[in-house]
Amino acid sequence: MVKSIIYTLTAITLCVVLFVCVEIYVNKQFEEFTAAIDTLYKKVEDETANREDGYAVKQMWLDKKSKLHIFLPHNDISYVDYWLNETCGLIYTGEYDLALGKLEVLKEIASTLPDSYAVKLENIF
Amino acid sequence: MALIFIRTAVIFVTLLFIMRLMGKSQIGEMQPFEFVITLLIAELACIPMADTSIPLLYGVIAIVAIFVLHQIVWLLDLWVKPMKSVICGSPSIVINRNGIVERELRKNNLDVSDLIESMRAAGYFSLDDVYYGLYEANGSFSALENPDKSTSSLSLTLIESGTADNKNLKKSGVTREKLDEFLKKQNAKLKQVIVLTVSPEGRVYFQKKGEKYKILKLEVNGEW
Repeated sequence: MVKSIIYTLTAITLCVVLFVCVEIYVNKQFEEFTAAIDTLYKKVEDETANREDGYAVKQMWLDKKSKLHIFLPHNDISYVDYWLNETCGLIYTGEYDLALGKLEVLKEIASTLPDSYAVKLENIF
Repeated sequence: MALIFIRTAVIFVTLLFIMRLMGKSQIGEMQPFEFVITLLIAELACIPMADTSIPLLYGVIAIVAIFVLHQIVWLLDLWVKPMKSVICGSPSIVINRNGIVERELRKNNLDVSDLIESMRAAGYFSLDDVYYGLYEANGSFSALENPDKSTSSLSLTLIESGTADNKNLKKSGVTREKLDEFLKKQNAKLKQVIVLTVSPEGRVYFQKKGEKYKILKLEVNGEW
């Protein structure tokens, strides 16, 4: 009986700790990624973005995504992959106007993705 | 992650509530919450295992959530007495000294044929073989045997919940006219009869709505 109560309380405590840590970690990763996208967006607006800028953001995302796969469904991560690759492709070819549109989508995904896994009434039901 | 835990809890509570509403007919010798866990655990384990797009951690969290909920239900069951009947239900006495308690059967989404089937499975082939019959909270059937139990043959149900069974009437060699005459003698209409069974020896178990059962005689010609 006491053993069962200890197991239950341990499980609840571990879960709460995990939930808080995961929430903080995922939000932090996306905040950093959004900041990188914002910087790239400004450079694309000024038409000063080059291959290296796109590559740096891509590299940053690849690093984050390998860990985010543990916590987020892989399909959602692949959306970011898709739009980031499109953006980088347009930057490489110098099509800044089109790249801005793609970056806009990427910013939206990066800002809404962590929210879709937050504890909110609309997400529960 | 917390979202998965909460969603699992919501589904668990919903399933438990629905299982309780469905009555004892849907439970196979398990407490309702155990049945719900059995239903959920297989899916929770399989989906993240087979679908590589879902992180395995989602399945692990959902299974841990089920464990925590199980423990909470178990502790509530143990410590808070009124919760036991809310979560697990309570036994229903479906046969008492007056015969079948139709209200209890209806409450558990069961009918007379379900009861007769449960009795047969428990080794009782006539309704008056038991003093008391009850469905436990886990859906199993228990009975207090009538010490004068003398049945050595299988009874056929001729009327059940106000409906005559034509197949069994034919099998027992009882014509419709003979049945109507029998009912007239008992001052009962077909719709008022909860159950009427007959053994090959012509021993009749007859119960009219709102009345105690009677053991009567009826001439039968069939062989079964």
